[in-house]
Amino acid sequence: MLDNTDKVYGFMPGCSLPSYNPHAVVETTEFLASKFEKFSAVQKCCGKPTKAIGQYDLFKERFAGLQKDMDDVQIEEMIVACQSCYLTFKEISTTAVTSLWALWPKLGMPEEIKNKAKDSDMVFTVHDSCSTRFETELQDGIRWILTELGYKIHESDYSREKTRCCGFGGMVVPANPEVAKKVMVRRVETLVEPNIVVYCAACRSSLLQADAKAWHILDLIWGPVVYEGDESPLDVLSNPAKSWINRYKAKKGINKVVK
Amino acid sequence: MDRVKFSDAILESAQMVTGDCMGLEQAFCVAACPMNTDAIGYVNLIAEGKNEEAIDLIREKLFLPNTLGRICAHPCEENCRRNTEYNQPISIAALKRYAAEKADDEKRWDLSVKDNTGKKVVIVGAGPAGAQSAIDLRREGHAVTIIEKLNVLGGMMRVGIPEYRLPRDVIDFEYSYLTKLGIEIKLGVEVGVDVSFEDLRNDYDIVILAHGAHVGSIIPIPGHKSKGVISAQEYLKEISLTRKSTIAGKRIAVIGGGDVAMDCARSSWRVGAETVYQCSLENMDNLPASKEEIEESLEEGVIFNAGYGPLEIIEENGKVKGLLIQKVASIFDTEGNFNPKYEGEKIILDVDTVVFATGQLVEDITKGSLPRERAGRYTVDSKTLETSIEGVFVAGDAAGTNIVIEAMSHGRKAALSIKNLLNAKPLDYGRDFEKEGSYKTKLDIPLPEGIENLPRLSGNFREPEIRKRDFLECDTGFTDEQALKEASRCLECECKFCMQECVMMNDFGDCPKDILDKLVIDGEMDPLLAYSCNGCDNCTIVCPKELPLKKIFVGSRKDFVAANNGKSPIPGHKVINMHQLLGFSWLFTTKRKKGGRK
Ligand SMILES: Cc1cc2nc3c(=O)[nH]c(=O)nc-3n(C[C@H](O)[C@H](O)[C@H](O)COP(=O)(O)OP(=O)(O)OC[C@H]3O[C@@H](n4cnc5c(N)ncnc54)[C@H](O)[C@@H]3O)c2cc1C
Repeated sequence: MLDNTDKVYGFMPGCSLPSYNPHAVVETTEFLASKFEKFSAVQKCCGKPTKAIGQYDLFKERFAGLQKDMDDVQIEEMIVACQSCYLTFKEISTTAVTSLWALWPKLGMPEEIKNKAKDSDMVFTVHDSCSTRFETELQDGIRWILTELGYKIHESDYSREKTRCCGFGGMVVPANPEVAKKVMVRRVETLVEPNIVVYCAACRSSLLQADAKAWHILDLIWGPVVYEGDESPLDVLSNPAKSWINRYKAKKGINKVVK
Repeated sequence: MDRVKFSDAILESAQMVTGDCMGLEQAFCVAACPMNTDAIGYVNLIAEGKNEEAIDLIREKLFLPNTLGRICAHPCEENCRRNTEYNQPISIAALKRYAAEKADDEKRWDLSVKDNTGKKVVIVGAGPAGAQSAIDLRREGHAVTIIEKLNVLGGMMRVGIPEYRLPRDVIDFEYSYLTKLGIEIKLGVEVGVDVSFEDLRNDYDIVILAHGAHVGSIIPIPGHKSKGVISAQEYLKEISLTRKSTIAGKRIAVIGGGDVAMDCARSSWRVGAETVYQCSLENMDNLPASKEEIEESLEEGVIFNAGYGPLEIIEENGKVKGLLIQKVASIFDTEGNFNPKYEGEKIILDVDTVVFATGQLVEDITKGSLPRERAGRYTVDSKTLETSIEGVFVAGDAAGTNIVIEAMSHGRKAALSIKNLLNAKPLDYGRDFEKEGSYKTKLDIPLPEGIENLPRLSGNFREPEIRKRDFLECDTGFTDEQALKEASRCLECECKFCMQECVMMNDFGDCPKDILDKLVIDGEMDPLLAYSCNGCDNCTIVCPKELPLKKIFVGSRKDFVAANNGKSPIPGHKVINMHQLLGFSWLFTTKRKKGGRK
């Protein structure tokens, strides 16, 4: 359990996750809200894409808006589900930041979810996000969650600090789609199992584009138990209309849960 | 977009990368070779069974692949990573011989020469140095003549290196390249006797002295004038030309510890000796001869007296009757000067012939026109090989080299100088002297993961007792299977770790240095390069120098934006702008606080 119950914790799901799976966002928000006495939530972009294409001044301006939102709802420590948000906060925010994945083992897994996949024959390989390759606590958290759920894990040679990019990073997809595609295919080739777990929705989309099966860790926590041979959820992110509808749904859901 | 002005931080990082990146550094074997032969390249072609491609690659640098495959002193092998790590170097030379035997075909030789320039070059000596100069200058379109005092080609390879190590038809076949290129060779003409140095200077635009070091040295110990005493040079020359020795008896002592001494000792069997002794100041652990030569001599039954010095040749009626030797206490005195001291037992070797393999000297064929130094070598500028007389150059052993491949590299060096001179350019024009010849590569990389110490394969040697009685080749070379296996041991030393990790850099060049030179030199970078980086950092993680590439690629984007009205220069990024607008719009964002609407 966390000792500091006096602090105002906040949650921010990021961009790709709410665009992919608003249901998981709402469940997670609810779960966190139940764990903290003082709790707020924000949905907004951290501005990383703006920064990644080189618009630093605009990025700072945009982040300042986010900072104001967080300050408005008195967040003292922000829990983020996106690794880019995590790094952006570390670099620029005045608010402390924690990764949801590093935090989860401290919160514990809800009893009804624990061990739910103990009868599943599924063996997963974790694809670690390359932006947080040196964040071992965060990576440990993902493995902890999978084990807690009852799934088996087979580590690839290219995991944790040796992980390889999914192809999405650096805003390369719109700049050099051929290269991005090659990186995606190469990433999939270096993962041992055909079934992959990610903790970034954009990574998931990239891996699907290279014909792999991939689940977001929250799909496994809040969704049905999966078995060897099951198909993974569809690639929602490559459909902009659906993505924006989902993002809107996530916003509405958060508004309902946190009041 | 305006011209991009890259920030200092980016340019400094780029300079660091192009300064430290080892991607263009040569493998240890290639840098160590005085001719910079692409050893790593041809070894790996052989490993893939591509012998034709291998020999073509070798021939880009060497006109004597089959010869060198047998007798090259192979500095490449000494520097091979499998030697420095495990003492088991790749048999690079033997693989070269294999490729030559398998696939060398004169129909594929490059016989292209430039148009005639009207300039005339004369070269004294048809050894490897002279031959290499001749080839390089003939290709430039100059008229080249070689004057050789012997009636055979190859220099010391022909009259020093014994036939059982290097069959003579191999030399003749490979030297046929010279005549095919249109080089004129005058055999049996001795400069200083049949024609003078002055004549050459008058008749030609350029003179290259490449006449080697053919004067044997005999140490003047008591008895050195008796019948049965001979220098290694005279001894081996006669055996090389006639397969006989008119001076050798049945019991022979060879004085010296180098490869020449081993050749003398082993040749002695082949001209009918019954007992062969060796004696040298250096003890067994410090013999200058190569390990292979010592081993083969031991196998053939040469009796070593390493660590014993010659005191006196005992004579009877003016003929050798024995050699008095004594154990060496020290070779150098406390000041480090050569000053051998003896102690303890003296031995008399019962011999009738004494061969001195104690060094060779350069003969002056210029009648004192050029200054000379130790062992009679001519004084030259070591970078250009020019002498104090304009248009006169010295190459090879006459200017201080010791092995064939170095002599060839000298030949090339002289040719490069002459090429410039005849084009009215300064001799150093367009040259990087540091990388001319053998040099130390800056490559400094970890061993690849999971490397095993696999043992070196050597050729197949005939039985010592049989081979020592004939002049046939001792080593019959590799079988196909052996060659494949040996070549496959190559560690392929290169620093391309980042290129194996990064997909996109491969679209822009060979390595970070190659890719970023343009930024450092001209201050330019393709925006697509900067915007193709995923920022994953794998390149830096695997880089032995941890060079900061992401910092350059991703970091420079703000400079592109500054030069492009505050926007990314990449057309596809319009989508991102739209995305970001929406991601920050009220429609999709919210801020909530538990227990209080906000
Ligand atoms: C016994 C022995 C064994 C050796 N073994 C090896 C070995 O295994 N591997 C290795 O790499 N190196 C070896 N070397 C060294 C190698 O042979 C020489 O470094 C190399 O041949 C030198 O080449 P060069 O062209 O400078 O001179 P040389 O090869 O000596 O050629 C000089 C030529 O000039 C000719 N010449 C001399 N004077 C005149 C004149 N006045 N007029 C016209 N022509 C003249 C000579 O006849 C000769 O043909 C060995 C040397 C010896 C003596």
